[in-house]
Amino acid sequence: MAVQTRPISTSPVTTRAVRWTRENLFSSIPNSAVTVAALALLYLVLFGSDPVGQAGALATFDWPDLLGGGLIKFVFDGADWSVVHANRRLYFLFRFPTATPTAANPDETWRIWVILYMLSGLAGASAGLWTRIDLKVAVVFLLLMVPVSLFIGAGAVLLLTGGAVAMFAASYVAAHFAPGIKTYLAVAKNVAIGAWIVAFFVAWTLLNGVDSRLWGGLLLTLFLTVVGIIASFPLGVLLALGRASTFPVIKGFCTAYIELIRAVPLITILFMALVFVPLMLEPDRRIVGLPITGVDFDLVARATIAITLFSAAYIAENVRGGLQSVPRGQMEAAEALGLSTSRILAFIVLPQAIRAVIPSLVGQFISLFKDTSLVFIMGLTDLLEVAGIVTSQPGFFGRQAESLLFVALIYWIIAFSMSRASQRLERTLGVGDR
Amino acid sequence: MTAADGTRDIIICEGVKKWFGDFQALRGITTTVAEGEVVVIFGPSGSGKSTFIRTLNRLEEHDEGRIVIDGVELNNNLRNLEKVRSEVGMVFQQFNLFPHLTVRRNITLALTHVRHKRKSEADALAEQLLDRVGIPEQVDKYPAQLSGGQQQRVAIARALAMQPKIMLFDEPTSALDPEMIKEVLDVMTQLAHEGITMIVVTHEMGFAREVADRFLFFDYGLIVEEGTPEHFFENPQEERTKLFLSQIL
Ligand SMILES: Nc1ncnc2c1ncn2[C@@H]1O[C@H](COP(=O)(O)OP(=O)(O)OP(=O)(O)O)[C@@H](O)[C@H]1O
Ligand SMILES: [Mg+2]
Repeated sequence: MAVQTRPISTSPVTTRAVRWTRENLFSSIPNSAVTVAALALLYLVLFGSDPVGQAGALATFDWPDLLGGGLIKFVFDGADWSVVHANRRLYFLFRFPTATPTAANPDETWRIWVILYMLSGLAGASAGLWTRIDLKVAVVFLLLMVPVSLFIGAGAVLLLTGGAVAMFAASYVAAHFAPGIKTYLAVAKNVAIGAWIVAFFVAWTLLNGVDSRLWGGLLLTLFLTVVGIIASFPLGVLLALGRASTFPVIKGFCTAYIELIRAVPLITILFMALVFVPLMLEPDRRIVGLPITGVDFDLVARATIAITLFSAAYIAENVRGGLQSVPRGQMEAAEALGLSTSRILAFIVLPQAIRAVIPSLVGQFISLFKDTSLVFIMGLTDLLEVAGIVTSQPGFFGRQAESLLFVALIYWIIAFSMSRASQRLERTLGVGDR
Repeated sequence: MTAADGTRDIIICEGVKKWFGDFQALRGITTTVAEGEVVVIFGPSGSGKSTFIRTLNRLEEHDEGRIVIDGVELNNNLRNLEKVRSEVGMVFQQFNLFPHLTVRRNITLALTHVRHKRKSEADALAEQLLDRVGIPEQVDKYPAQLSGGQQQRVAIARALAMQPKIMLFDEPTSALDPEMIKEVLDVMTQLAHEGITMIVVTHEMGFAREVADRFLFFDYGLIVEEGTPEHFFENPQEERTKLFLSQIL
């Protein structure tokens, strides 16, 4: 496996940092240009003005009108980034209570911070347990923290953001260098997996302390994405197994489900979730004793279920491809050892099938992430919807371009991180070694 | 079922027939194998050798006839099947190691999930078995990091871990480079001397002559001729046997 044979670099961290920066950020002239432009944009977005004047120099530079020249000119010259800076809280949390708390309407932002700290700590610890010390992990995480640091404005927020970064770094170091960790690595990994599951439910509970009608912006987008992925993946695997089943009823049902869902656009399913659910659930209907009435049935829940059911059909098709790629001999060898069918699936067939299709699975997850922007049809306010809303405020009219560019950057950072994580996972699992 | 000399027939086949669609791959195989016996099967390609050996642990279901393994008849009874499979080890031409698991896990998987042994116990057994097949140092590698000969020896260790009474080998050296064939045959020779019942499909006639108690010559889904190695090398009776031997020797 590549990971095991990779030589351990002995050069000092600083040299490696310089080398990494050169190889990844300044490897070519276009690459350097993109890096400089991205940093400058971040700078402008962060501070909303140009106190030092460097960006002004970039703006007066005579950019060629080719390719992205016009766009670069706009970014540094024509654009007014104050729309992003002034509305930063709306992009991330929308109406989540609240930037201006009152006695009747207390500030609930602490819930987000607790979740962020929990996830930072877990992410750090997991990175420490599963990867060798790697600057890329740190850089990727810091890049992810940039949007969060847009909260910067009040000193407390700056401290809190820095705290989350420190939390990540500390748990990384703790998990990686704890004495005796090598001996208990397997146990520690199991504990970490357990902690992720617990963290998921804690985050769920914390978020549900606030009415989901008040969720919005990046928070809503990420909620739909994360829950959508976590729920649709096992469902998709079950559907794929069902489609490969020899029981005609199961096979027929799964095949029909997959083909039906794949023939309908997501926006239609979301629309049906909006319009038909109230018709199906009578006003006084109860589900497992809970008074879930049609009209009130949580819109976010409906959207999540719709996205999950939709995505599961595509995941099922990906996994089916993986199942077909596992050689017949693998099953025979396992059968010959006397393993039961369920164990053969769990230990031999599924791990190989899923590894074989990690790239297309992550592709599906990335499209799920982007597709969450369709929930506007249900009247929900996701990140993309916020981008439009903020420019309808007086004072920010006509700033759609800035707003959309900023939102596009956030989508790109997240989608790109997912894609890199997938490549990393592939390498770690040694898919290419067979 | 005890033969005259006191040994027990551990495999009994009576008129075993098998069809793939319209094509009849086995046309009535009748034979018995005594406990501790080493039987070598050879014959032309497509003669049904693999099909036959695979019916013995029901990787292929036979359509007619009877197969009894260590007193248990092979039929649709799943409980019987589990018992038989955990008593019959199989080694494949293509090794069929689990590529996503380490060598150690390849060997211990069935120990922990079929035999319900504790992990420490299974690990110890895995190391002991790798020692026996001559590659103790490979325990924490992945199959793709091993040579073909080493992989096949791991496959043998994996099958032996279940402490089978019978080992089936389907052309275990056919996918190997010539320089690796010997290391695998050496392990098999050692096993044969330890008294485990073995059925081996192979065309390695030197090895076969050394270890086999009996040869079965297959053609067109039938046992055409059967006898000791000496019989085949010195005095084969059937024309088809003579022709085939002249081609492979
Ligand atoms: N799953 C299958 N479906 C259809 N036909 C099959 C199947 N398996 C085997 N056969 C056919 O049955 C016949 C016997 O095959 P088998 O694999 O037992 O031959 P063999 O003696 O092992 O040959 P070889 O030396 O090439 O391995 C062949 O004609 C083969 O094409
Ligand atoms: Mg064969």
